[in-house]
Amino acid sequence: MAGNKPRGSSFSRNFSAASNTISQIPGLKHGPNGTMFLSSGIPDLDKILGGGFTLGSLVMVMEDPEAPHHMLLIRNFMSQGLVHKQPLLYASPAKDPRGFLGTLPSPMLSKDEKSRDRDAEQEKGLRIAWQYKKYFGEQNSELQRDGKSEYCNDFDLRKPLERHFYSGQQIDCISLQDSADLTTFHDRCSSFLSQTPRNDRNITCAGRIAIQSLGAPQCDFSDKECDMLSFIRSLKSTIRSSNAVAVITFPPSLVSPAFSKRLQHLADTLVSVKAIPDEDKELAKLLTGYQDMVGLLSVHKVARINTQVPTILEATTFSMKLRKRRSLILECLNQAPVDGSTGSSYASSSSCSGSSKTGAIDF
Amino acid sequence: MAERICRALRDGALEGEHAPALTIKDSIQSPFGSLVFNHVLSQLSSFIVAQKSQSQGIVLVAFSRGPLYYEELFKSKGNDVASSNKWIRVLDCCTDPLGWRSKLMESGRIANLTLGTSTTASLYKNVKDLDKLLLAITELGKELVGDGKGRFVVAIDSVSEMLRHTSISSVAGLLSNLRSHDQVSCLFWLLHSDIHETKAIAALEYLSSMQVSAEPITRPVNGQRGNSVKLPFLEQNLRGGKIHVRFKRRNGRVRLMSEEFCIEQSGIKFTPISSEAEMIAQSLVPKVQFNLQLSEKERNDRAKVVLPFEHQGNGKTIQIYDGRKSLNEDKPEMQYTSAEKVQTVKDSGRGEIIYFRDSDDEMPDSDEDPDDDLDI
Repeated sequence: MAGNKPRGSSFSRNFSAASNTISQIPGLKHGPNGTMFLSSGIPDLDKILGGGFTLGSLVMVMEDPEAPHHMLLIRNFMSQGLVHKQPLLYASPAKDPRGFLGTLPSPMLSKDEKSRDRDAEQEKGLRIAWQYKKYFGEQNSELQRDGKSEYCNDFDLRKPLERHFYSGQQIDCISLQDSADLTTFHDRCSSFLSQTPRNDRNITCAGRIAIQSLGAPQCDFSDKECDMLSFIRSLKSTIRSSNAVAVITFPPSLVSPAFSKRLQHLADTLVSVKAIPDEDKELAKLLTGYQDMVGLLSVHKVARINTQVPTILEATTFSMKLRKRRSLILECLNQAPVDGSTGSSYASSSSCSGSSKTGAIDF
Repeated sequence: MAERICRALRDGALEGEHAPALTIKDSIQSPFGSLVFNHVLSQLSSFIVAQKSQSQGIVLVAFSRGPLYYEELFKSKGNDVASSNKWIRVLDCCTDPLGWRSKLMESGRIANLTLGTSTTASLYKNVKDLDKLLLAITELGKELVGDGKGRFVVAIDSVSEMLRHTSISSVAGLLSNLRSHDQVSCLFWLLHSDIHETKAIAALEYLSSMQVSAEPITRPVNGQRGNSVKLPFLEQNLRGGKIHVRFKRRNGRVRLMSEEFCIEQSGIKFTPISSEAEMIAQSLVPKVQFNLQLSEKERNDRAKVVLPFEHQGNGKTIQIYDGRKSLNEDKPEMQYTSAEKVQTVKDSGRGEIIYFRDSDDEMPDSDEDPDDDLDI
């Protein structure tokens, strides 16, 4: 079947009248298998993950030491939370984490989004010459642009977030640098998460936790890997029983491989960012749109709660681009047309690393 | 390129951004890191004296070489030492890093040795306490540039020496606090990469925005060390080498550059790479897909294709596409009829079960006629 299926299973949940209020809470929407989503702040990422970040899940972002792209993800995540008035907890190894709040992007005004809508409309002209077309429902129901409360905003990275989004908001900022161990931080997280517990009553709001660079060398606890692992484990279990999402970034190059693997397994959704070399002629030949790219984003795992069926993505690596230098978009990587005469680009791209000079004993 | 790095350091940090940080790395095969350090230091000092840079002064934290050495260095480069009071301060952590000398002098064990002191140097005796060191550096900096908008450069003679006394996490904390300090314009440090663990080196590379590593021009062919290393290689490596630069740009891309250098009487000289050096192609091999998007022209062409068995209806004779020509006139009609087939999605007020057939080779049900597809 071409296109997105409107439903993932044969059964659809019976939504009672009381729980219809959920759809009125901005920033939350129903997902498959009784889960709920909240937005990551990046519309393309929401689409790739099938709706957004699942409530109750742990999202890990693997950083690249050479590029600050994980900060883009964290910024959009935090801004989206502030726009939807969701309580926010932010922790970083900087001495003054409050300063980071000044760099959060502002949602784009609607007149800039017209170019997006045009792309959506062109897809509706899909012509299918068989009878199953009648099963295609609304594929683009998420793209309602009218109405003030959107599920996911497009953020303008050049404009800082306006002040009125900060006022009256619960924003906790914690510096990880001074604490010798994680116990105080753990207590803060637990008390934060106890505000948004998951129970049978109606959900009022969802919380967001953003932890930047866990395991950065400035923190004293960075070599106590067991402590960090037990912290993450207990955070994951607390989050499961609350209506919140935690996004944690960590630098895999600075921690031991075993620890990095353990963190990757602990994550419900695992994403990694990678830097790309500048003015690399090989890459420019291999990929279209290389000039606009700032980095690569790979999705390794997508959270699947209440189900055994994994998500298999069509593509796992996406290029990060800044459209008009303002908003972050993720695109599939497209291979540039291979020049038939040279015929060598395939050979050079299939080698994982190493020199393009062939040695004497190369097959 | 060395000039590029010096210019990047000279331009300093933007408002609200971390200061650019340079790591200069070397190893025993090419032990010229200190010469590169001296070169960068003298370049920056000439920029500062000529008032062309963002910063107005340098705070030099000298661990491995004393302030007298640097005085000589500046003299030899032609900088006016007398006025150096205005733009440089040296934090002397080399003469008495742990305070032992002063303790011995107090207790009278050794005679009071008067070392040649300079007006720009201040003695620091407690290198194990990095919080105090940070305070000392920032105070010296404020002394130089005042309390307002002035900025200063911090140069650390050797982070390897610092790592002898304290842990990597405190050094990393110091460096990151310096980077985020409002008045620091840029900072750079020297590191000897073969005497530290990879974790420490990775941490320092994580904190820096530019890395220069000095490497030998040629490595011994067999990789053997000791007596079997050929003398010509050694000689060549002692006269010059290559620097590899990794530059983290603001937009998140990484720039890789290389240059050669040779050691001369007056110092170090950089030249662009002469030989056809092996360019190591580090291709990322992401899983690239073929271009599935259509351009405008392709879209139009696709719209013109007549598909077989499509509901062409309306009593006309069915036109089966035989691959030879494309028809234009039926396009709008076909779109209209297929649009009618889209049913509205069931209302979400009630739960329901929808059954999708799993496989095609099941026996066809009685209610489903596979010939429904065809419009005959």
